[in-house]
Amino acid sequence: MQTCLEMRNICKTYSINGRTVNKNVDLTVRKGEIHALLGENGAGKTTLMNILYGIIHPDSGEIFINGKKVFIDSPLTANRSGIGMVHQHFRLIDDFTVAQNVVLGMEPRHGLFKFDNTKAEKDVLSVINKNGFKLEPNAKISDLSVGQMQQVEIVKMLYRKADLLILDEPTSVLTEHEIQNLFIRLKKLVKTGKTVIIITHKLKEVKRLSDRLTVLRSGKVVGVRNTADVDESEISRLMVGRTVALKPIKVETEIKEEALKLENVVLKKRRQERPILDNLSFKVFKGEILGIAAVAGNGLSELENLLGGMVRITSGRLLINGQDVTNEGAAVFRRAGLSYVPSDRLKRGSSIESSVRENIILTNHHRFVKKTGEIDSSAADEFSSKLIDNFNIDADPSTRTGTLSGGNIQKVILSRELEHIDGLVVFAEPTWGLDIASSEYIYKKIIEVKSEGAAVVIISSNIEEIINLSDRIIVMHSGEIVCETKNTEDIDAAVIGDYMLGLKNDFSKVTNER
Amino acid sequence: MKDSRNCSTVQLSGVLVTLAAAAVVVIVSIFILSKTPFSTIYYFFIGPFANKYYLGNMLNSVVPLIFTGLGISFAFKASMFNLGGEGQVYAGGFIAASVALLIPSLPGVIGIFLSLLVAAVCGALIAGLSGFFKMKWNTDELITSFLISNALIYTIDFFITGPMDDPTNNLLATRKIASQYHLLRIFPPSSLNISVIIAILAVIFSFWILFKTNHGYELRLSGLNSEFARYGGINIGKYIFLPMLWSGAFNALAGAVSVLGTTHCCIKGFSNGVGWNGIAVALIARNNPAAVVPAALFFAFIEAGANSAMINADVTIEIASIVKAVIFFLITSRVIYNSFRRKALV
Ligand SMILES: Nc1ncnc2c1ncn2[C@@H]1O[C@H](COP(=O)(O)OP(=O)(O)O)[C@@H](O)[C@H]1O
Ligand SMILES: [Mg+2]
Repeated sequence: MQTCLEMRNICKTYSINGRTVNKNVDLTVRKGEIHALLGENGAGKTTLMNILYGIIHPDSGEIFINGKKVFIDSPLTANRSGIGMVHQHFRLIDDFTVAQNVVLGMEPRHGLFKFDNTKAEKDVLSVINKNGFKLEPNAKISDLSVGQMQQVEIVKMLYRKADLLILDEPTSVLTEHEIQNLFIRLKKLVKTGKTVIIITHKLKEVKRLSDRLTVLRSGKVVGVRNTADVDESEISRLMVGRTVALKPIKVETEIKEEALKLENVVLKKRRQERPILDNLSFKVFKGEILGIAAVAGNGLSELENLLGGMVRITSGRLLINGQDVTNEGAAVFRRAGLSYVPSDRLKRGSSIESSVRENIILTNHHRFVKKTGEIDSSAADEFSSKLIDNFNIDADPSTRTGTLSGGNIQKVILSRELEHIDGLVVFAEPTWGLDIASSEYIYKKIIEVKSEGAAVVIISSNIEEIINLSDRIIVMHSGEIVCETKNTEDIDAAVIGDYMLGLKNDFSKVTNER
Repeated sequence: MKDSRNCSTVQLSGVLVTLAAAAVVVIVSIFILSKTPFSTIYYFFIGPFANKYYLGNMLNSVVPLIFTGLGISFAFKASMFNLGGEGQVYAGGFIAASVALLIPSLPGVIGIFLSLLVAAVCGALIAGLSGFFKMKWNTDELITSFLISNALIYTIDFFITGPMDDPTNNLLATRKIASQYHLLRIFPPSSLNISVIIAILAVIFSFWILFKTNHGYELRLSGLNSEFARYGGINIGKYIFLPMLWSGAFNALAGAVSVLGTTHCCIKGFSNGVGWNGIAVALIARNNPAAVVPAALFFAFIEAGANSAMINADVTIEIASIVKAVIFFLITSRVIYNSFRRKALV
């Protein structure tokens, strides 16, 4: 097969921090394939692609497009060489329409100056239709979903006649449904002769989508494979550098007393008839993991807020370890025995402007208060150093939390919440956006928490995670429980997915009566 | 990994660079605005140090700025805005004078302590009211503190010009307080007095409260990220109210020490911008009590320099105000500070 792109011996050291991020990287991509570029967070994937797209200049190395050597010094030259890139963070103008965003920079004109909106919409519509996208050219960006915005970005590159399309972690912001649609579209695109490079660290997606793959680790290429020739565990071994247990090993734990109980909980927004949480009742027992799955927007984040003591309910009751804590604040929830790892790590789970020490001691800080009202700083230091060690956090107590990687911030939160467990731990989207090594670590911790005898609730939109970890599963749709079942070996992810999408709601309730 | 000490050196250098830039602006604007720029620059920069009287008075004017700088810092640290500094300073001075005038003849120390205490408590309650309203009804403390302060200023003006005016002198002011309640002068012939020591103690106390105690920890966390604080079980309503108490108390003390130490009576409108300038001081100091002292010094110096240039050279009051305004603009813009900080951190 013909080679579409060849990058040879690319080296890049960021001068501001002296970090070498690409070391003699070679990347060969064949025409008409979907090529996955893999690696853990910080492996240098984005840097390599930014070099290809002309945003960053390499220290050395060569780039060949269709066998011809090219010098790419800006995205504009990249466009001219037929390269288009969709960034991890979209670069769209909210107040412009789809068509206006797509043509921006190469607008069709009446005469010399006047922007020709009709032609823009017509041209863009033809690109949209030709490639099977579902977009209105005259819709405003601010009215679109994240998935649609991504489509706009892709259409924008196709309008620029890109033959090689780079997608940087396109799935991290999408729902399961949107991911499927994206993959279908990408497969169609390569059939028409385009070439795709996709960055990701989700192995399932790699297997599902790509033809070949290149793995980066610490800036170096550690493997190039045909996707068909490798299995997931080998890919993850290449990425992480050691064998990882992708499926956490379940342990049987004796089920003990009830730790959490919801009774007919209803949550309504003011002046809104339809409840956001509709008559929820369930129990969680010590020694089991309850997984709660739903597609975003179906009450999952409200349920998280509720269990964390962050929101007041309209009616119903909530008990933690037998204590009625309905509509009390987080302080009472915690005293009743709650530990809670929130989904929003940066806004709720940590104070990124504060030091790691100040993040770790929260909820425990009362222990260090002396009679004078002072915080015993040496005790607090010792405490946080101990947790930093125990949880392998790459930081000092005085490091500003915002400078840590996502995985390390999550570990800071875990260390604080798991330091003292009193019967109930709620994990919300525990591995969202994290790489394999961090996810593995977190799964291990969750299993550990359960085997030590606590009740665990996992709230997640990731079905796989729910199925791999939970003993029991609840699926919510539109704020209602549509399925409650024991997690047995033969459970079908697709069926759970149907419940999540609201395609099934026959309420095959398998209760855990005790 | 950067440790916190490294971080605060960076912060300090950021402040110094800002101040240096401000000095450059002063010099450039003097060259533009004055016909005799060299003598103006001389009087601007050297004037405040010309003799004991000028030097002592400049240092004395630092004291209320330290108090208001601390007051505003407390509020800012908790992400609260206290725009009522001016009224709180005025009220503090007025109440301190009233207490000193009303109490019978007590030993000096006790009388001074009493009048400072009452002033601080009243200031705390005045600002605390805005915090309380916010906690209860989520009103905007920025607006309520400003409105309350304005109403107070007019009320106090009424008392000073009416019922409490001292007919024996032609100032619009209350009677003079008894001499045993005067704060001891320490640098005659200037007005510099022992309130400077009280101010230093207040700085140490504030630093201790904010960075060493549990109260300060919770206050700062609530200010940096209130959702995180709430999630961790901190009662964030408390940290809407309490920082305003601190803020009002320190602002009121600024007025109280001016009256007991400098004017010895409450003169109409004596606060004269000290409340507002506290905001500038807190901004330069990045709400760090330790940095409030140099920031207040700087501010007092600019003020004294402008006055000296006005008296001795061809600078008019408008030009002096323009220069001050430009400096204020510069230091509040944060641009220089931040760009410096970014460079130092990466
Ligand atoms: N603009 C930059 N300046 C300095 N260092 C950077 C910059 N961008 C990325 N890095 C560093 O380079 C490494 C690789 O980053 P990146 O290419 O974004 O990795 P990936 O996309 O594989 O997660 C990281 O350690 C990151 O901190
Ligand atoms: Mg990246």
